[in-house]
Amino acid sequence: MRIVVLGVIAFGLIAAAPSRDQALKTMHERHEGMESIGKSVKAINRELAGGSPNLATIRASAATISNLSRKASGWFPKGTGPELGKTGAKPEIWQNWPDFTAKLHNFQAAAKMFSAAAAGGDVGAIEARFGDLAGTCKACHDKYRAEMKH
Amino acid sequence: MHNHHTDWHIWSGFMILTLLLFRLLWGVVGSSTARFSSFVRGPKTVLRYLRGGWSGIGHTPLGALSVVALLAAVAVQVGLGLVSQDPDGLYFGPLAILVSSDASDKARDIHELWFNVVLGLIVLHVAAIVFYRFRGRHLTKPMITGRAVLDPGAEPLRRGKWWVAVICLAVAFGITRWIVAGAPPF
Repeated sequence: MRIVVLGVIAFGLIAAAPSRDQALKTMHERHEGMESIGKSVKAINRELAGGSPNLATIRASAATISNLSRKASGWFPKGTGPELGKTGAKPEIWQNWPDFTAKLHNFQAAAKMFSAAAAGGDVGAIEARFGDLAGTCKACHDKYRAEMKH
Repeated sequence: MHNHHTDWHIWSGFMILTLLLFRLLWGVVGSSTARFSSFVRGPKTVLRYLRGGWSGIGHTPLGALSVVALLAAVAVQVGLGLVSQDPDGLYFGPLAILVSSDASDKARDIHELWFNVVLGLIVLHVAAIVFYRFRGRHLTKPMITGRAVLDPGAEPLRRGKWWVAVICLAVAFGITRWIVAGAPPF
């Protein structure tokens, strides 16, 4: 009986802890996702800087950012920091979890608002919502992202 | 690039661009020892200098190589910065949108690496000044004051005009402003 109980507990512990492979996979997905968001932000900024922005490009990029921002909720499980592998995610993320998740939610909300603005044709509104969105990237990165060399 | 103080980073780059442009102009119309035509020498003269058979004022033939290398390295560094964008896509060099997004990212990577080349040349340059100082030659004071003890027979310095310097600075500032504005066509 005791062996069975211990066995169940041991199994429970192993099953609950995310495997190393799973964590590395999440980190890879996070990296690719962030890079893709960065590419989209660059594309939008370049359109807006040109004077005659291509709305189709902006809308496609907005959709990419919005989709990935929702996935980002699953990108930061505990144990995916620099203790496991090369990453720009600082350990402070998990030390200040409520603040971090608040900033993540701000980003997700701003991405949604920007996507809505991009669907319309008002360039002034698009620029304003994009400014808000960029602010949420910076707010989080200034505090929680370390420099990362390729 | 560091996440913080990006504005400082960019503005110090514009300042360096202004100084660089000024030095290039001064190298054409400035004091005699500042002119490229007077101090940039070929390899033969450099060798003659190394064997001790050269005399003159201003940059030595070997020092001239250092000056040219520093100016070129800084020019490359500034040029790369002008077309770079940061990893988040939030900050852009004023000429970044004239090239593709991928090219801007590549330029930023090289900008980061190239800084080590600039650092290396700075260390070499300062080490050379210290080396000459131990051998009894002061190089920085004559550079600032324009006064030095002349070797016999050496041609003395012809000072540049102060108002030419002011014009050079104004032109350098103007060109920088134009680049910061994204180099619009006239």
